[in-house]
Order: sequence, then structure tokens, then C-alpha cells
Amino acid sequence: MNKELEHSFVELLEEHQNIVHKVCRLYTNNQDAHNDLFQEITIQLWKAYPKFRGDSKFSTWMYRVGLNTAITLYRKSKRSINTYEIESFEFKIKAEEYDDTEEQQLKLLYQAVHQLNDIEKALVFLYLEDKDYREISDTLGISEVNARVKMNRVKTKLKTILNP
Amino acid sequence: MDELELLKKGWKKDDSSYPKLSYNEIYKMILKKSSSIVKWIFVISILEFVFWTLIAFAFKGNKKLQQFEKFDADYIIIPLTVLGYLVLAYFFYMFYKNYRTISVTDNAKVLMENILKTRRTVRHYVAFNLVFLVISTFAGMYIQFDQNQLIIEKAHLAAADGNLLLFYGRIILVTAIFLIGAIAILLFFYWLIYGILLKRLNRNYKELKKLEV
Repeated sequence: MNKELEHSFVELLEEHQNIVHKVCRLYTNNQDAHNDLFQEITIQLWKAYPKFRGDSKFSTWMYRVGLNTAITLYRKSKRSINTYEIESFEFKIKAEEYDDTEEQQLKLLYQAVHQLNDIEKALVFLYLEDKDYREISDTLGISEVNARVKMNRVKTKLKTILNP
Repeated sequence: MDELELLKKGWKKDDSSYPKLSYNEIYKMILKKSSSIVKWIFVISILEFVFWTLIAFAFKGNKKLQQFEKFDADYIIIPLTVLGYLVLAYFFYMFYKNYRTISVTDNAKVLMENILKTRRTVRHYVAFNLVFLVISTFAGMYIQFDQNQLIIEKAHLAAADGNLLLFYGRIILVTAIFLIGAIAILLFFYWLIYGILLKRLNRNYKELKKLEV
């Protein structure tokens, strides 16, 4: 039984692993920290999996566990604190798909997002993943109105970081 | 274009650029141990319970303190001991109950609240122990003053010289300084460990609470 559970879990996670990578991308600054966080999220997902009833989609459930781990449970390892190695860590973006200015702008944007606090990053993450305000408020435990207000503040904050 | 819209466009394009871990790599990960703060809180909390229980036993085994058995002090010692165990049982039950409610599938705010609630239980237990330590020390001192012949004789001598207040005052002051020192050291370690462990959680919880105002 346990083997079956392990098998179904690993298969599902293998299929949806991008969600975890994306959380790691926003919350860590280097490859080691990325791997650490990925590992911890995987463990938390696995620990919670026996209680996963399937009334929500596996991916929806992953967003919640992934963000909770990143925001609350994960202890940042020393090497990831206050080090900004985004440049070297950025995933290889195929150069031909972007013109220079857009690529440059994106780089700056990612750097700006890394300067946001953990909760703001969660809002941005869910927004980038096309989640509506109901799901954002459900995941974070705040009201929809407050989620909207906070999202607007985050947009303003990003503008300020980019154009000081 | 809105900054976030631009970011979203790039974000979606990057979808295929993430590393792809194999079945076996993921399988190996689920066999590893978690190092989440909940696990640390559990371990440290259990150590705290063990520490305070050991302290109680250490006091029992202490030769100097065994002299209390010769005194007629059961009316103080027995209720204090029973109270100590009852409170330990109560706090341990509360701690375990709160710990069990921590679930990574709750929303972020509820998860943080449950972790903080679990911590609060242990903090209250430690606070109780510190108060208990003070009460026990002064109860012990009272028994000594009341029944230890050596101290009673010294007190008589001091009284004859008119220094009775100074005699009692000195003992109480030294004990108080010792207690304050011990409590300060304990609180310092406490502040250090939990300051580091819960700094991030507290900061994020405050941020979420701030949104409600």
C-alpha cells in the first residue's frame, strides 16, 4: 500500500514539478538554496499526501503546500541569506526569443521581485500563475478585498524599486 | 505595459526552462528528513519539558535538599510537588494537542497561528516553571528559617546584637540575586533560540495581520 502511495505521489510530483521550481525561483537566490527548498517542499508534500483527498486538483494543493513551506516552514540555510546571486542563477533564457531591451527589463523585474517581502512574493507568484483573487485570499488566509489592495501596493512598490 | 504583465509574459515563456528532475531523484527526496521549523520547535519543546523535569529530579536527589525530609514540611512540599506534576501533564497535553493541529495544507495565516499557539503553550510552561522556581525557593527558605536549628540559633545571636533584620535581609538578598541571575541566563538562551527560529515566521505573520487593519 505504502509503495503504491509512494509511486502515485512521485509520478504526480514529477509531472507537476514546475510549480515547486517556480516557488523556489522566487524565494531563493542561488542554486543550493533552490535545491534545499525544493527538497523541503517535496518532503512536506509527501508528508501531507496521505490526507490529500483529491477534492481539489493536485496542482492547487501543491501551490498551498509549496507557498506555506517557503513562507513559514523553511529555515533559510546560511548560504542563502542576504546573498544576491540572481545574475548567475537566472535560468538560461533563449536569447533569440527576446530582444535586448525586453530581456534587460525582465532581468530588472526579477531582481525587483526578489526585493519584495515573503508575503508580497506570494501574491506576485499567485498572480503570475493566473490565480484569481478568491484563490489568492484562500491560500494566504486574507480577505479578497485585502488581497486586491495589497496587490495594488505591490505593483506600486515594484514601480518604485524600478524607478527610484 | 504594466510591469507585472511584462513579468507574466516572461514567466510563461520560461516554463520550459526549469530543471527536470527524474522519478528517481524525486523518490530519493521523499526518503530524506525534514528540517522545517515545526520539526525544530517540536524537538526544542520536548527538550524543554525534559529539562524542567530533570531539574525537578535533580532537586530531589540533592543531598542538601534531602534535609528537608527531616523537617516537618510535608504540608508545603507535597502540594508543590503534586502541583508541579499536574501542571506538567496539563501543558504537555496542550502542547501535543496544538502540535497535532499544525497542518501544512491550512491557509498561510492559520498555519502560522497554529505554530505560534504551540510555541505559546511551551512558553507558558517555562514561565510557570520560573514562577514555580521562585515560589519553591522562598518556600524552602521559609522552612529553613522556621525549622533549621543552626539558622534559628544564628538568628537568635543576630537578634541579641540587634541585627536580626540584617541577618534575614542578607540571606534573602543573596538568594534573590542568585535567582535573578539564573532566570536571566535562561531567558537569554530562550530569546536567542526562538529569536533566530521564529524571526521569519513572526515577521510574515505580522505582515498578514497588518493587511487586516
